[in-house]
Amino acid sequence: MKGSLATSAVLHALVLTWALVSLGSPADFEVADVEALPVDIVPIESITQIQQGDKKAPAKEKASPVPTKKPTPVENAENIGDNDVDLKTPPTPNTKPVQNESAAAPEKTEKALPTPDPVKEEIQKVEEPEPASEPATEVAALPEPKQEVKPETKPEPAPAEEQPAENPEAEALPDKVPTPMAKPKVEKPAQTAKTPERKKEEAKKEQKKASSAKESDFNADEIAALLNKQESSGGGAKRSTEEAALGGKKTTSGNTLSQSEMDALRGQIQNNWSIIPGMADAADVRIKVTMRLDPNGELIGEPEVEATGGSDAARRALMGGARRAILKSAPFKGLPADKYDSWSEVVVNFDPSSML
Amino acid sequence: MEQVGLAATSDVTLWSLFMEAGFVVKLVMLGLIAASVWTWGIVVDKTLNYGRVRRQLDNFEQVFWSGQSLEELYRTLSDRQTAGMGAIFVSAMREWKKSFERGARSPIGLQMRIDRAMDVTLARESETLEARLGSLATIGSAAPFIGLFGTVVGIMTSFQAIAGSKSTNLAVVAPGIAEALLATAIGLLAAIPAVIAYNKFSADAGKLTARMEAFADEFSAILSRQIDEKLQSSRQAAQ
Repeated sequence: MKGSLATSAVLHALVLTWALVSLGSPADFEVADVEALPVDIVPIESITQIQQGDKKAPAKEKASPVPTKKPTPVENAENIGDNDVDLKTPPTPNTKPVQNESAAAPEKTEKALPTPDPVKEEIQKVEEPEPASEPATEVAALPEPKQEVKPETKPEPAPAEEQPAENPEAEALPDKVPTPMAKPKVEKPAQTAKTPERKKEEAKKEQKKASSAKESDFNADEIAALLNKQESSGGGAKRSTEEAALGGKKTTSGNTLSQSEMDALRGQIQNNWSIIPGMADAADVRIKVTMRLDPNGELIGEPEVEATGGSDAARRALMGGARRAILKSAPFKGLPADKYDSWSEVVVNFDPSSML
Repeated sequence: MEQVGLAATSDVTLWSLFMEAGFVVKLVMLGLIAASVWTWGIVVDKTLNYGRVRRQLDNFEQVFWSGQSLEELYRTLSDRQTAGMGAIFVSAMREWKKSFERGARSPIGLQMRIDRAMDVTLARESETLEARLGSLATIGSAAPFIGLFGTVVGIMTSFQAIAGSKSTNLAVVAPGIAEALLATAIGLLAAIPAVIAYNKFSADAGKLTARMEAFADEFSAILSRQIDEKLQSSRQAAQ
């Protein structure tokens, strides 16, 4: 027995040693790195029930677009903006300084063209919105003294030769002196020399004359606005006076009856509903009425009345009462006409026990 | 202090599990390991012992049925330390010899005495065969409970530690529970071989005992025939 015990002890020692070595530390679980997916819950109202407003403004009770500064020139404009023309494109930011520099170039082309007045008018129509950039106005301002001279001596050369000394930009002028362009120019600088705004107004007047003269559907203003690359083109002509609040670009048709409107509708039915007091098991009955209405508040077809809870007899009595009350109270009044979409088919719930 | 140890344990080797365990759990584990050593000691011992006994029985039967004279066989065996069938044979022959040397008269009394002597030897032999099987049975049935006790105590301590550390993080709880479960594992490790060995060895012991009983009955029948023959011859001699 001693030998056996010794054998057993040795075996155990061996097994335990092996276990300590090999079963020592089990391999760690490999945990896969799972990245959490961000999930946004988008309510369907954000698509179906958009109110016109500003996309970047903070949310408020009533959505409203960015306030505009000018009075509206267009009737029934639909798109918010400071534009004179009602365009669907959103307002683009004002032109960059680079474009302003390029605005100086057309002046040369004007001079280069040997065409008489009508041609020049057309060019002005197309390129009118170019902000008469400051360098240009400066040039225009400089010749001020010359203008006085001009009416007397029509050929420009004399004043033009004086310019080079003062302004390097004017160097271009002498080359093109011989062109007959000089004549029309004389009138314009005389009025607009100092303020570019005046010049613009003048141009607009000319535009209106031109468009009215043609008398057609062709809206030259719109074309001009679209072609214009210098000034901010897009934007509508509808003006907004309220503070900007979160909302969509346009008001969609989605809307719901407010609580008070719903209560008014329910009240009209309740007034005509005589509930027998003390009816057994009436406390648990709930009535759900589904009815279709026309824009005048009249019923279309039969109202559907459903009842749940309570005893069978009480259900039947209350359902009958509800149907009679609805038929009696039609046509319904006080429903907002602009929300007809939401009350064309309306569901009204009643708790008869609260009406006793 | 306990919770610090629990929280800090990141390696879960068997040795660290054992060392982290509380005093009671350690005691239980050590006891169970000792029980396992004892079980396997008995298993080794019994395996060798039963093999030896079986070989002895085979040899003796061969010799007994080889036609050798019983007197001669008795003479060779009585000098040695005998076991199993040999011991039964020797005890029966001794009783036979004693009775005839003293001139016993009653053949029925002689038969009874020989049977008694063989029964006593058989009982002693089977007792030797079944020795220590009882402890195997005890270990087999009790070890799981002892291990479970260790586990319960270990989990109790580890929950107390959780209450102290105020953290239910699995990393805090797991080492304590693993250490407690180690006690049950050791208990089962000791119990399962013990149960299997007990069943096997008790069946083996039963078979060997039955074989010896069969031999004792057979030898009793042979001796009974001899007694009858002797009586017959003595009567004929008297006539």
